[in-house]
Amino acid sequence: MENLIIAASERSPEVNFDVAAGILQIRGESYPEDASSVFGPIFAALQDFLGQGNGTPLRVDFELIYFNSSSAKALMNMFQMLENASGCAIVVNWQFMADDETMKEFGEDFSEDLSHITFNLVSVS
Amino acid sequence: MLAQQYRAFKSELDAHGIVFSFSGYLSEGILYSLGDALRQKMALEDTDVTTIKKVFSVFVEQSQNIIRYSAEKVQGNLGKSVELSSGMVTIGSENGRFFIVCGNIILEQDMEKLRGRLETLRGMDRDAIKAYYKEQLREPPDEGSRGATIGLIEIARRASAPIEFDFDRIDADRHFFCLKVSI
Repeated sequence: MENLIIAASERSPEVNFDVAAGILQIRGESYPEDASSVFGPIFAALQDFLGQGNGTPLRVDFELIYFNSSSAKALMNMFQMLENASGCAIVVNWQFMADDETMKEFGEDFSEDLSHITFNLVSVS
Repeated sequence: MLAQQYRAFKSELDAHGIVFSFSGYLSEGILYSLGDALRQKMALEDTDVTTIKKVFSVFVEQSQNIIRYSAEKVQGNLGKSVELSSGMVTIGSENGRFFIVCGNIILEQDMEKLRGRLETLRGMDRDAIKAYYKEQLREPPDEGSRGATIGLIEIARRASAPIEFDFDRIDADRHFFCLKVSI
């Protein structure tokens, strides 16, 4: 499968999925009116990746500054999809600025009830 | 006369502490531009990061609610499909706090459901709102709501005081709906 590379736009994040390395990075902001326009392609690529079944570990790095409520819902769907995936180790790094309570709290909300994936809250200053 | 008239209009807005107010047809592009100006204005005034985020978040959710649910829309094709929704979004400050008010027309048939959702949220304390948010995050979306429930919870979650809302009847089929959120 091919790498997924999407440049950031005014209301959508930069996406970089290096399939061979098993690293997906999502950076920036996400508040399109229709969250599926942003998350649809990421979901499809993740499904392909997880369906390969070759055991490549997956690391997902989030560096999000702001997202709207429909993007939050899409992110939760993504974490549930990763939680239910079997066959490879999955690590999520949820990065937030140390003074950003909102993004920290979102990380905590998302990580609750996830037991199969490793979810790291990463504070940066 | 012209300048006097509009100066009076602007003074009236200033007296209410209004930072900016938009009335008319909203699009995602306008939302982006207004939101950008709003964040810059707050950053220049050394507003703390958490407050800027809360104000911006409520502004986005309220504007997107107007774009999605306003009963006053124009649609058409200008080479690409275009949908504009009418309403108003106002940001201001009073007693040292920011507030965001949105207003738009809604249909009679949608009013009770919206009122019910808002009353539920107004009756909840901070912990209950947080728990409700987490619960709704894990629910499949309501049929036809395009994410309304989670958006309203997000708004209530960022508020520092209970949300205020009201409906003003226009005629048998329509109401003017208003929601005020203080940060």
